[in-house]
Amino acid sequence: MNTHGATLVLPAQAGVMDEAATIRAAQRGDQAAFERLVHTYDQSVLRLAMNLLRSSEDAYDVYQEAFLRVHRNLQNFRFDCSFHTWLYRIVTNLCLDHLRKKKVRRQESMTVETETGIVDRAAVLPEERPGSDPQRTLFSHEVRAKIGSALQTMTPRERMVFELRHYEGLRLKAIGEMLGTTEEAAKNCLFRATQKMRSALGEFV
Amino acid sequence: MTCETFRELLPLALYGEVSFEEEEQLDEHAMTCESCAEDRERLTQIIRSVGSEPAGVPPGLLSRCRRDLSARLTADGSTRRQPAWWERALAALNPSLSWIKPASALALLSIGFLGGRLMPDWGSSGSGSIDPASVSRVRYVDSDIPGRVRLVVDETRQRELTGEVSDAGIRRILMGALGDPSDPGLRAESVDLLGSSSDNADVRQALVNSLRSDPNSGVRLKALEGLRRYAAESEIRDALCEVLLTDDNPAIRAQAIDMLVQHKDTEIAGVLQELVRKEENSYIRSQSLKALSEMKASAGTF
Repeated sequence: MNTHGATLVLPAQAGVMDEAATIRAAQRGDQAAFERLVHTYDQSVLRLAMNLLRSSEDAYDVYQEAFLRVHRNLQNFRFDCSFHTWLYRIVTNLCLDHLRKKKVRRQESMTVETETGIVDRAAVLPEERPGSDPQRTLFSHEVRAKIGSALQTMTPRERMVFELRHYEGLRLKAIGEMLGTTEEAAKNCLFRATQKMRSALGEFV
Repeated sequence: MTCETFRELLPLALYGEVSFEEEEQLDEHAMTCESCAEDRERLTQIIRSVGSEPAGVPPGLLSRCRRDLSARLTADGSTRRQPAWWERALAALNPSLSWIKPASALALLSIGFLGGRLMPDWGSSGSGSIDPASVSRVRYVDSDIPGRVRLVVDETRQRELTGEVSDAGIRRILMGALGDPSDPGLRAESVDLLGSSSDNADVRQALVNSLRSDPNSGVRLKALEGLRRYAAESEIRDALCEVLLTDDNPAIRAQAIDMLVQHKDTEIAGVLQELVRKEENSYIRSQSLKALSEMKASAGTF
């Protein structure tokens, strides 16, 4: 499982000072500074959006809208939380909106776009090594399909908390802060999400 | 601890979200309750089977996002209106007095209206003294009194300049031209000329910026060419790695791999391994494999 430090490009303590200076420069209208900020965080933002929304176009929309909002509202950033938290609050809100719209529009398809085209969501989860026996591969494929359907049964908030904790390695306290809720509520979401995962995969393990 | 509490805390514990004391209690309970111990084992396996690798970002998506964002920010910046002087004055008011704002705005407008009636003609440079064609950008607009506007504009005058690329002033103008979103030809020509001065750190930075974010692949290729002599420098090497992983143009990636593998730095092994796994272009894959083998590094990651 990814740890917090391994997944996110979080600046080291020394870098925090640099980041504050970069943010201030960007607030004064320095476009190069703004670009530096974008490049520090945009890979994590895009990966999160891609993982949650499972569509290049949706992830692209979230990326554009998030950084345009950051650009327009950077003047209002008062350093009362980390820039990372502030940015992720914007991104998670946009992703939640997309997830809710998707939920209303249709029962989500089980597909996701990858470099090899559109494939089943479960198929983008870790693959067995080549050469493993077919029985095991089939079993693993079934497990991945179940994981995909368990993700479908989660509410947008459960999905968000699960993704941020499981894949992004963020602490529940930080997740609560980003989603404008308490750590306790984030804990409940994670609990329900793992219960759904357990119901889906119980027979396999 | 009861079995019920154990089950409630278990998922959180597996994600490291319980206190030290709670973890101790969970361990103690699992030692005495076989069913809960099995439950913990099962949930651990379930969470492990979900995997830790998130869905990948398709190649080229990041660079497309960056390029389009850059263009939108340029458009956003040029259309965003500066707040009028009275809006800025009102914004400075204490937020708790926000109810006063509409009233104050009305009062200011009234003063403007009466002022316009009572005051003699101010006189100004007037629009007649400005050639609208020479206005490159309107910086500020407000209305002092009804019917009159005050503008602050940038004016352009066409001039022909000649000089050496080594001249700092000429270089600055060329670097400025790299930011013109409307003319890729101008940017390509500027990058080409600046390439001969890449011994200058500012020029190299400008070329790296073009390589990373110019929407035109011809411009990016020329920027790459301009940086060739400095491929061993860490910042250029980082930019080359980024291009290899994100640029959607295979010709640029092929050029970048040739530059990158000239200097077999062990720090690039991770990028080369990723290319062996993900790159769709066989030339780039084979170059990566060759470089890894020459570096005596493994082709895969474990």
